[in-house]
Amino acid sequence: MSPILSPFLRQCTQSPDNIAFVEEDLSLTYAEFQTQIHKISTALKNKQIQTQCIAIALDRGILAASCIYSVLYAGGIYLPLDMKTPATRLSFIINDAQPAFIIGLGEPPTWLENSALWLDINELLQSDAQILSPVPVQTDSLAAILYTSGSTGNPKGIALSHQALSNFSTWASQTFELNPQDRIASLAPFHFDLSIFDLFSSLAVGASVYFIPAKFSFSPSRLTIWLSENKISTWYTVPSLLSFIALKGALDSTDLSHLKRLLFAGEVFPTDYLIKLANLLPEVELYNLYGPTETNVCCYWAVKREQLDPQQSIPIGQAAANAQLSIDALTGELQVQSLNNFSGYWQQGKLQPVEQTRYATGDKVSLNTQGEYCYHGRLDRMLKCSGYRVEPAEIEHCINQLAGIAQCAVVGIKDSTSGQRPAALVVLNAGASLGDTIKPLRQLLPAYMQPYKFLSVNTLPVLSNGKTDYQTIESLFKT
Amino acid sequence: MKQEIRTFIFDELIFVAEPENFSDDDDLLEAGLDSMGIMRLIMYIEEQFAVTLPDSEIDPDNVNSFNALEKWVLQHKK
Repeated sequence: MSPILSPFLRQCTQSPDNIAFVEEDLSLTYAEFQTQIHKISTALKNKQIQTQCIAIALDRGILAASCIYSVLYAGGIYLPLDMKTPATRLSFIINDAQPAFIIGLGEPPTWLENSALWLDINELLQSDAQILSPVPVQTDSLAAILYTSGSTGNPKGIALSHQALSNFSTWASQTFELNPQDRIASLAPFHFDLSIFDLFSSLAVGASVYFIPAKFSFSPSRLTIWLSENKISTWYTVPSLLSFIALKGALDSTDLSHLKRLLFAGEVFPTDYLIKLANLLPEVELYNLYGPTETNVCCYWAVKREQLDPQQSIPIGQAAANAQLSIDALTGELQVQSLNNFSGYWQQGKLQPVEQTRYATGDKVSLNTQGEYCYHGRLDRMLKCSGYRVEPAEIEHCINQLAGIAQCAVVGIKDSTSGQRPAALVVLNAGASLGDTIKPLRQLLPAYMQPYKFLSVNTLPVLSNGKTDYQTIESLFKT
Repeated sequence: MKQEIRTFIFDELIFVAEPENFSDDDDLLEAGLDSMGIMRLIMYIEEQFAVTLPDSEIDPDNVNSFNALEKWVLQHKK
């Protein structure tokens, strides 16, 4: 049986009355959640979805979580869509992933060309629940496809097996000593790999998942009050949000005595803000988790408060989830061999398997005197924006499609709070105005990929070998 | 004050194609101002205008337009 589902099913038998999920006023016990899965997966099983990709067009929450578990139950592969991403990008992902079905709420959306793919979750929930056992899978069968920004100019799907998900999930629940009393806050959208912890590490141990209402990401003190009122013990999120809370979350006047641990990943946590957070929450364990979606978490550092120095970035620590790490002697690139590793990229409706078991991260690292890995940035042009990875090539690809653009180059500008932000240098065709030209970009790229600055020039700076001079371009934005 | 906040937001936080056509009531969150942008904006306003904006009032309703921002800041300006 699937190694991700079996620990969850054990919890359903052992403690069916424990709370599995809480979303606003709605809460579901393990038994109720399982009934919901039985209904949806009965309907899915009748559609023969085994080994097929099923897209989920629902916002983060109990319904989407039920669909994810049901797809796995029925032997399928779940693909969570980012419902905030523009329709053109969603259409690209659907055309590339070629899912057998798309589960959503109500009528099919206008961006969907083939509405026959659409399944209304309300109808699936009408099916007579049969008590079924999960469809048997191999450990290397695919479980999830997470689309991320691609260096070829288009989004790409990272395919993860049941084994990859369960290896991480088990490691996390053991390392962080999760137990049935834990209340885990969840804010990460399901297409973001942080959600694997929220969805699977939690239910494997009988803990409860509390969905953070989306509006609170703009109201740090309301968010901390919510954490307090709901007696949250564990939260895995991005550093930028924790910085916001450290600075503006009224932590000194909010009772967070139930909070045991905060985990963070996705970008470098600015050390001065981390020190602030560590001082305001002296009893809370803090963990820096590191790894691209292809490896999930492959390295982690339990924050040692005495080692924090505002002048130095924090280490990414030691190997996680039994990963074998090595550093390329020539380039300093971190390479990862791990059961967490992805199976390959999902392209044109099928898996393109990886040829090497060792994944080259593109991240430059070194070991410090304590034997901890330290991160020193990218070897390529990839950016980290608010925890999301962003390939400048994908933004350039979209800008180049706009009428009025002759050429463009996108670079990352360092930002004290959110890592990097994309900025674009463009060469316009004669007579085109910058404002009119780039207006349609909002319909092509999600918010975190939108350049926050544009500059128009006559020619792009190039190096003597004819290649684009990105360093000079970066300096243009700094002046 | 509104002009300075406009300049800061459009220069540092979000890009809009035609800032002159972005009205004081247009929705800044829809235009791409995110939680990190809000944090930087509040830090800027507090320093630039010597005000303290209470943590408990950081809320979409107070930051989603230039008019809302101005009203909020003026409430705390001595």
